[in-house]
Amino acid sequence: MNPLTLIVLPLLGAIATAIGPSSWARWTAFLFSLAVLAGSIVCAVQFPEWHTGRYWPDANEGSTLKAFGISMQLGGDSVNMLLLLLTTFMVPLTLAGSFSGITERHREYYTWFMLLEASLMLAFLSRDLILFYVGYEFTLVPMFFLISIWGGTQRRPAAIKFFLFTFLGSIFTLAAGIYVAARSAEASGVWDFGLASLTRFGCEQLTDREQFWVFAGLVAGFAVKTPVFPVHSWLPLAHDQAPTGGSVILAAVLLKLGTYGVYRIALPMAPAGAVELASFFGVLGILAIVVTAMICWVQTDVKKLIAYSSISHMGFVIMGLFAFNPIGMQGSIMYMISHGLSTGALFLCIGMIYERFHTKEMDAMSGLARHMPVWGTFMIIFTLASLGLPGLNGFPGEFLCLMGTFVAEHDQPAGYPGVMGPWFAVVAAGGLILGAMYLLIMLGKIVWGPLKVPGASADPHEHAHGDQGHGGLSRDLNVREIAILLPIAIACFFTGLYPRLLLDVTEPSAREALVSFPEHVNAYNAARGKVNPSGAKQSVTLMPSPTGSLPRLMIEQPLQVTP
Amino acid sequence: MIGTLAQAPSHGVTIALTFSAVLFALGLIGFLVRRNMILMFLCTELMLQAAAIAFIAFGRVHMDTGGQVFVIFILTVAAAEAAMALGLVVLLYRRRETLSAEAWQELHE
Amino acid sequence: MSGSFLAVAVLGDAAQAAHTGSHLESLVNAVIPKATAAPELAWAGWILLLPVLSAVLCTAFAALRVKNKLPAIVTVVSLGAAFALVLKLYLMRGPEAAPVVVHLWDWMNFSWGGGPWKSFQADVSLYIDSLTLLWMLFVTGLGTLIALYASEYMESDRGAGYCRFFFGVSIFLLAMSALVMADNLVLLYFGWEGVGLASYLLIGYDYHRPAAVEAAKKAFIMNRIGDLGLAVGIWLIWVNYGSVEFATLFQVFTNATSDAGGWDRSLIPFCLMLGAFGKSAQLPLFTWLPDAMEGPTPVSALIHAATMVTAGVYLLARMEPLFVLHPHAMTTVAWVGGLTALLAATIGMAQYDIKRVFAYSTISQLGYMFMGLGVGTAFGAAYHVLTHAFFKALLFLTAGAIMHGFAGQLDLRRLSGLRRVPGFGIVCWTMLIGCLWLSAFPYTAGFFSKDIILVQAMSQPKFQLLGWIGLATAGLTAYYTFRVWFRVCAGPVSFVSGELAHQTDHAQHATTADLHGAPHAHTGTASHSSHANESHAGGFHPHAPRLAINFVLLLLGLGAILSGIPGIQSLRGQHNWVQEMVYASTAVRASGELHTTTPVAFGLDAHGIVSVFGIGAALGGILIAWWLHRLNRRMADRLRSMLLSNSLTRWLPTSMENKWYVDEVYHALFRLPMWIASHLLNFFDRHIVDGLMVNGLGRVPVLIGRLFQPLYNGLLQGYATTMAGGLVLVLAWVAWKWLGAGGAA
Repeated sequence: MNPLTLIVLPLLGAIATAIGPSSWARWTAFLFSLAVLAGSIVCAVQFPEWHTGRYWPDANEGSTLKAFGISMQLGGDSVNMLLLLLTTFMVPLTLAGSFSGITERHREYYTWFMLLEASLMLAFLSRDLILFYVGYEFTLVPMFFLISIWGGTQRRPAAIKFFLFTFLGSIFTLAAGIYVAARSAEASGVWDFGLASLTRFGCEQLTDREQFWVFAGLVAGFAVKTPVFPVHSWLPLAHDQAPTGGSVILAAVLLKLGTYGVYRIALPMAPAGAVELASFFGVLGILAIVVTAMICWVQTDVKKLIAYSSISHMGFVIMGLFAFNPIGMQGSIMYMISHGLSTGALFLCIGMIYERFHTKEMDAMSGLARHMPVWGTFMIIFTLASLGLPGLNGFPGEFLCLMGTFVAEHDQPAGYPGVMGPWFAVVAAGGLILGAMYLLIMLGKIVWGPLKVPGASADPHEHAHGDQGHGGLSRDLNVREIAILLPIAIACFFTGLYPRLLLDVTEPSAREALVSFPEHVNAYNAARGKVNPSGAKQSVTLMPSPTGSLPRLMIEQPLQVTP
Repeated sequence: MIGTLAQAPSHGVTIALTFSAVLFALGLIGFLVRRNMILMFLCTELMLQAAAIAFIAFGRVHMDTGGQVFVIFILTVAAAEAAMALGLVVLLYRRRETLSAEAWQELHE
Repeated sequence: MSGSFLAVAVLGDAAQAAHTGSHLESLVNAVIPKATAAPELAWAGWILLLPVLSAVLCTAFAALRVKNKLPAIVTVVSLGAAFALVLKLYLMRGPEAAPVVVHLWDWMNFSWGGGPWKSFQADVSLYIDSLTLLWMLFVTGLGTLIALYASEYMESDRGAGYCRFFFGVSIFLLAMSALVMADNLVLLYFGWEGVGLASYLLIGYDYHRPAAVEAAKKAFIMNRIGDLGLAVGIWLIWVNYGSVEFATLFQVFTNATSDAGGWDRSLIPFCLMLGAFGKSAQLPLFTWLPDAMEGPTPVSALIHAATMVTAGVYLLARMEPLFVLHPHAMTTVAWVGGLTALLAATIGMAQYDIKRVFAYSTISQLGYMFMGLGVGTAFGAAYHVLTHAFFKALLFLTAGAIMHGFAGQLDLRRLSGLRRVPGFGIVCWTMLIGCLWLSAFPYTAGFFSKDIILVQAMSQPKFQLLGWIGLATAGLTAYYTFRVWFRVCAGPVSFVSGELAHQTDHAQHATTADLHGAPHAHTGTASHSSHANESHAGGFHPHAPRLAINFVLLLLGLGAILSGIPGIQSLRGQHNWVQEMVYASTAVRASGELHTTTPVAFGLDAHGIVSVFGIGAALGGILIAWWLHRLNRRMADRLRSMLLSNSLTRWLPTSMENKWYVDEVYHALFRLPMWIASHLLNFFDRHIVDGLMVNGLGRVPVLIGRLFQPLYNGLLQGYATTMAGGLVLVLAWVAWKWLGAGGAA
């Protein structure tokens, strides 16, 4: 199946939604998004490179449209596929979650949503820098309208801040990308924005100084999108003001564009710069994890709390990415996926509450587990997933990200030296405690406790008996809402209990992304007097381990403990 | 580039460029000193044609028909522009009973 | 594999010290047998799957709105089946079989080269050795019994709550089994956090009570602090030893002679200790356990007394080969255990809530277990875990039966003479068994297990002080234990029903906190009770326990009695079952008794000291309790008010009743500063980062625009002039630049 279909299909959906009658809009959009989901599943089944780390379809320069060095190269490796599946999985659920929340201007809403999906598909599928940038930036437009039309009371400032802030960041990304392309054109005489050639050129030909600035420029945009700590302030506002559907897709997929950009573009294109800046980003990651977790603690608005928790969680991804070893790298990919599932679902849950009570203030509600047991169950599951309980999806990612950071020392024996090390991980792991703290406080306030239904009359039992809740919705979740949350919950359990599947398919891709790092890291550390005892020329390409490959369980001879 | 021009064999090009510059200056001065909207519009047309002449002249220098192609475009655009601009002027005249551009100063808000 | 294992293990300098001038049988560097893969034992996976099954079914029952006892039946049956499987495993393997590893499925497993440091293998696999089996036998066994007890205890909540309760119990058994049977540290971490989750869900079972929610949260967060230690320990182990699988690690540990390595290697035991102390409620992190008594009593018995809190002991016993590599690790464990035992016992003496007394006694007894591990008798520690599991579960279940019968009443000042209340005979007599066992009455199981630990401590000079602390704690234990029994079961019959009798819906416990505000409630219990009997509980009839509860109590009493058999064998110098189990496991390296005949004090050797003083402490404590709380209750009250009225001694009862203000200190030291910091950070984020920096940056273009606004005056010619002026400037610049350049060239 041609990946182009996955971009065209949502576009067609947008057109069909736009020209169809308003009352059909939701179903048109939903069916098209299902079609995209089906298409992406077909794509995933056909995808031959799950275990190789190669791209598919293999970029063939001759056959693609090409002008000014920009070519219509589409395709991806296993990580792209995973993010693609995450997107196509979340979009239909988000659309279904918007059925009751969106009460006006249906046609526009669903049209923008399908355009958003199309641009996300483009961003995750393009193998060309400019094409990626188009998809990456175009997501701003639908999102801008989603927030500014269907948002809360402060939607206009929120939308403008969201747009301008992320746009400002992306300018630097584009500039850095064009710089690399220009240098490459200078060297080869041909303009080519293809990611593969730019990456090769960037990491092989650019000087360390250039790589530093290229990396800084590229990451400037991605950091805003992710968001990394000091440039995060658009996110709580945007989340708080966006309609439920917007929040969900923002948290579940849009934020991943930032980390995906770091993973796919910034790190491989300018490894020396990345190494140079790694400890800086490590500190930013720690700040994100710890500081925003503490900020979460004093939030009173549950949606803002989850928005801040998103920043905190993305801090783990950043730590994992800058650990420069497969543990951290695969951990951060795991975490991207699992954060998309659990935080997206949490926003859906909060939206369901908001539709019923029209409030997101935690003080206004309490003990809803009694009022809405099914909702309470889902809320607990996703909260636990979010705080990284083993067995649920959050754990493998979080654990591996932190572990990756922990072992990212100059002399660590895994063959992938790093620049961070145990103290980074230990401080960041404080986020485990803080995360449990604010999430359980949230649960304690709204799910547990004595029953208090917002807006209800003095006697809470009066409501407990009526089956009809607010806003024409049933008291507890209805079948549609359960059908939305259930697949996500199943995905959460599956990812938590069998992460092997994801770890297997991300492993070659992560190794590919890391291929030039050990050398740069060793050089960086050696310049600071920290020489890697296992040799500066340590190569990643599978040096056999000193003890040979051991059978897993039967240890024939005692292992040598390195002193 | 100056050097190229200086070594250009044809004095015709120099003459054409001078003509174009004079025409442009006339248009510009006219635009700046007149208050009548129709006259101001005509002055802009003058400047546009000056640019068109420059295009032809440079097309001759580089022996490239591109310059003439652009002139065709300029003429077309100018025609469309004239149709719209004159229409607008008529509308504006009907509102204020005057052709002076100063009558519409408050539009800057 | 019998004789050699009974020999004394390597205990670093402790063994060295004991060696001088003492009789040591022999010194054998015990080797941990290699673990072999045993795919034929894959059915052992059902031990994990059965609780999952019952949890899933309980969820389904909740969805289907089942209102009968089906969830309980399903849970009891599946837990019973799990116990049967464990038993089958035990019978197949025997007590001394070499460890096996059963691979179930891949979990977090990836490699970038294979071999140590080039792969990370944390699968769902089971490591089955005798220590695993020892723990699993009492975990699943007690789990089944307590689930059976709960089927009756929780029956008033039939419906969604009943399903939720048994869901929690099933999840707990799953997590606990995973913890104990894990073949790698990450799966152990899964269980470790999983039992924390189950504990959270079950403590917060009565979620409409804010106290329960608060206690649940506190338990989870304090456990998380410990979990952080465990996580860091796991990473350090991987960094230093290249694997997280026990089978590999133990081979590495046994071949390592000492902890030659950097600071990070010597930090590992302390990280693991933090985890263990969090889970097992030891000194820095013990405050959650008393609050956890907000949960239903079967939960307190199962999770917070018998099984989950021993996970820390299990972790340390399991990782003992690592701990003995470090010279100070075991000493630290011993001291933390001993001090916790003493501290918790002093608090337990002054509590009025029966369950809280038992909770502090649990902390105290866990302290003994850690002391046992620390002083070098893993056998003593494991044996104490076993005996404690029986008698403490028994004590909690009797407390639960009383609570169940008296509508939530747990204040020992408001219950008296239950021995003579019809239907409470079995409860009182089984409670007596529990109390005797807990207070280490001579020739009970509790006596034997405590004895082994204390003798081991006494026979090493550097642990003698700890031994004396342990003996003193034993006296305190006997006192507070029998304080409860004599108050509640003996004496004249009088009782006040709890508040559940009238407000079944919004129940609020009569907690000790309420009573502190009114100390006069304490004076004259008898008259107060009779008065309250008329006004408050008029017409209240105690609700005597029925078949399931009594059956479980009797079985547990029997179990407690039988758990003394290994102790008797050990006393006679025979091999016993627990010892064999422990010595055949990883805990072997630190196990063994240092029988020393050198006099410790008063011309007695360690055995003599512990026997004389231990029996003395137990009997003395019981006698004092008998005198103060059976014969002369007014005397106890007078003593208390005397201490309170004297300003010099007032601190003693107040701080003991207020748990030495540990909670308050933690609040002031950690929670409050963090709360303030959070508010400051929130302000910083909102007004500095967002307000000043982001919005400030957004204002810059607006300000620049303002600067040039006068140019936009609405005059067309004005604009044109600006444009023309700009053009002239550009032309001038171009001309200057190019012509200047041309001139220069």
